[in-house]
Amino acid sequence: MANTSFDRPSTRPDEIHSLLIGVERYNPQKAGVLEDYLARQCANPDPASNHDLMANLALLKMYQFNPDLVDLDVIRRILAKALISQSQGDFNLCLYLLSDEICSDASIGKLLVLRDYLEGAQFDKFWKEMYGVEDDDDESVVDGIAGFDNGLRRLIIGEITSTYQTVAAKAVEKMVNLDEEAVLRLCKEHNWPADSNGIITLPLKSENEAKNTVIKENVKFEQLTKILSAANDI
Amino acid sequence: MYQENYDDVEFGGDVDLVANSYANSNLVEGELDEEELIMQAQAGVQSIPEPVRNFLANLHRNLANCNVGDLAYNYENQFVRLTDKFYGKEPWPEPQYVAALVGDDGLFLTLYRELYYRHIYSRLHPSMETRFRSFENYCDLFNYILNSDGPLELELPNQWLWDIVDEFIYQFQSFCTHRSRVSKRTPEEIELLKENTQVWNTYSVLNVLYSLIQKSSICEQLEAGQQGGDVTEAAGDFGVRPLYKMLGYFSIIGLVRVHCMLGDYTLALQTLENVELGNSRALFTRVTACHVTVYYYVGFAYLMMGRYADAIQSFVHILTFVSRTRQYHQRSYQFDAVNKKAEQMYALLAIAVSLSPVRVDESIHSYLREKYGDQQHKMQRGGDEATEIMSELYLYACPKFIMPNPPSYIDVEAAGSAMEPQNFQLKIFLREARLQLVIPTLRSFLRLYTTMDLDRLSTFLDMAPAELRNQLMVYKQRCRQIKWVGSPDLLKGEITSTTDLDFALQEDMIFIAESRVGRRYADWFIRNTNKIQDLVNNMENRQKTTIANAGKPKAEESSAASDAATPATAAVEA
Repeated sequence: MANTSFDRPSTRPDEIHSLLIGVERYNPQKAGVLEDYLARQCANPDPASNHDLMANLALLKMYQFNPDLVDLDVIRRILAKALISQSQGDFNLCLYLLSDEICSDASIGKLLVLRDYLEGAQFDKFWKEMYGVEDDDDESVVDGIAGFDNGLRRLIIGEITSTYQTVAAKAVEKMVNLDEEAVLRLCKEHNWPADSNGIITLPLKSENEAKNTVIKENVKFEQLTKILSAANDI
Repeated sequence: MYQENYDDVEFGGDVDLVANSYANSNLVEGELDEEELIMQAQAGVQSIPEPVRNFLANLHRNLANCNVGDLAYNYENQFVRLTDKFYGKEPWPEPQYVAALVGDDGLFLTLYRELYYRHIYSRLHPSMETRFRSFENYCDLFNYILNSDGPLELELPNQWLWDIVDEFIYQFQSFCTHRSRVSKRTPEEIELLKENTQVWNTYSVLNVLYSLIQKSSICEQLEAGQQGGDVTEAAGDFGVRPLYKMLGYFSIIGLVRVHCMLGDYTLALQTLENVELGNSRALFTRVTACHVTVYYYVGFAYLMMGRYADAIQSFVHILTFVSRTRQYHQRSYQFDAVNKKAEQMYALLAIAVSLSPVRVDESIHSYLREKYGDQQHKMQRGGDEATEIMSELYLYACPKFIMPNPPSYIDVEAAGSAMEPQNFQLKIFLREARLQLVIPTLRSFLRLYTTMDLDRLSTFLDMAPAELRNQLMVYKQRCRQIKWVGSPDLLKGEITSTTDLDFALQEDMIFIAESRVGRRYADWFIRNTNKIQDLVNNMENRQKTTIANAGKPKAEESSAASDAATPATAAVEA
């Protein structure tokens, strides 16, 4: 079974785990513990181990119960991490625990827009929104999160490899916001042969292999017990 | 209790709710008070109709003797009938009159008051005072159960226990909604609310539920049951008694409900960790309302999480159950509640099936088509109309969401807009749904071809090729969901494709593939083979009996004849 966001990540310390499964998760004094844990997640650039959805949801729930504890920067970071999570539903789950008031904040609002572009696969608009305005005096909305760009690119590449069997290198450049050289390096890294016309051939896997299948019937042994026992009696 | 009457007599309009000390006022007119009160109580008792008095006396006796069977009859039948007959539009007799009738039995009166308030909530309109008093009564009841020295001897029927927990949460939700409508509250009410923040406090409610769960060690019991361990040992002194065990179990379901009302769907599903949904003999099946509630909230949680396939599975399961057992549910009040939930689930199912088309059971499918066929078509076409219909169905069928905290009583305008949580949840859900609607639209086009050029398809769909490219990627992303495969943890699952249509892009050429379901013949053959085997067995048995009877003496001829007749009729019926 694939590792979903709901499984306990290997990097979750026991202290946090016992906090989450007990009643202490409602104790407002523990908000600090969860916030520190989030900071550790943000500092960790390894995408395989730096996202603990359940802990972040617990923190958001605490904010829901104690509105005076709300720290918008924390919420921003939680949402940004959920944005690039491998499971597509994480961002929504975080949203359900917020409120209209929180969502009207500028940086949260920007994250919502980014998320719309990302989920709608409108990657060029996405990159423009994220890095477009040069004279932006505020820090980027995804500041303080190590490995954000890499995680993001991993996600987009995952989608590309699921959809395409062959794709133009130029199109890839636009989607992941890298220049030609970087894309070629990426292809070498993943072992994708690129031919002279700039068409990259992606490996076939179950998602991007369009094969007509027939779902065969699965007869379980238990269904035949009555027949077999009757046959035996004869 | 007695102080209430006194207040009404002396201090006309001033309603002093939460218990303060009346020590000063009592001392002055001691004796007159007593007499007056006794007369009032007697008058009150006289005003109770004879059948009701008998009912109350029976109830009291059965409670004292722990006669669960009779209590069930009292509670499920007589109470309902008497309510319909005498108290359709007014409350049941005042608790203090009932106290005069059965003597001052604290526990009985607490339970009676629970019924009394429950009746007011369902048939009449509860005032702020009633809400406060009801909360205090629940506190008394749960304090009694949770803080006793040893396990209580009390036993109540399961239906009653479920109704207590269910009603507790319902009154909590009703209170949250009531207080958040700040603009409709009078200034006195607002003052009361501000001063008494402990009444129907979210933490208190959660505390009750968690304490009941902990006291009964129900999680350990369920875990032990699943792993084949010793359930009695895991239960401890309190958990072995059915009162605690069932209250603990129903509190788990209650928690699921509260979490969903607060928008925390993952925690809701996680709470059901050890409750085996697939088990047809699980504890929640003992009370129909509980059974239906579990599946409703599980399905709803899945729907909000975007796991449409799982949501559909949940809803279909329970709706088939409800339609099959419809004729057995003649008890009126439970029947209505179950029916209402079933109707809501059909609405949610209509939404889910529009977003993620799958084949469902024939009878459900036909009912759904009959009731929501029109709306389903409109939803699948997308656009504004789809959103409108989806919102309508959603708001009809969703649970009543609540905000865990009191609103800001000062800033009335801000409170007004912020306090409709269902609109917020609806907004998020719609955003997901709009993206998901890509699937039915594209699917209907792609189904007709095996290969298609991107540009041509974009002209068909009347959109720019770049946009179509994006939509195809979205389709790919969305057709893969996590699907629950029967593990005890409802959150886990395997990533499977949820539509039967798949495709791959080679630059600008779309290659389309479809997965069909092969012909299923095994089931049909197995069933018919078994049928004919049964028939053959029956005929052989009949043959054997007639041969055996032929050898018997004449005296038993008549009985043999009747014996031969019965297997014959049995074979005919088979």
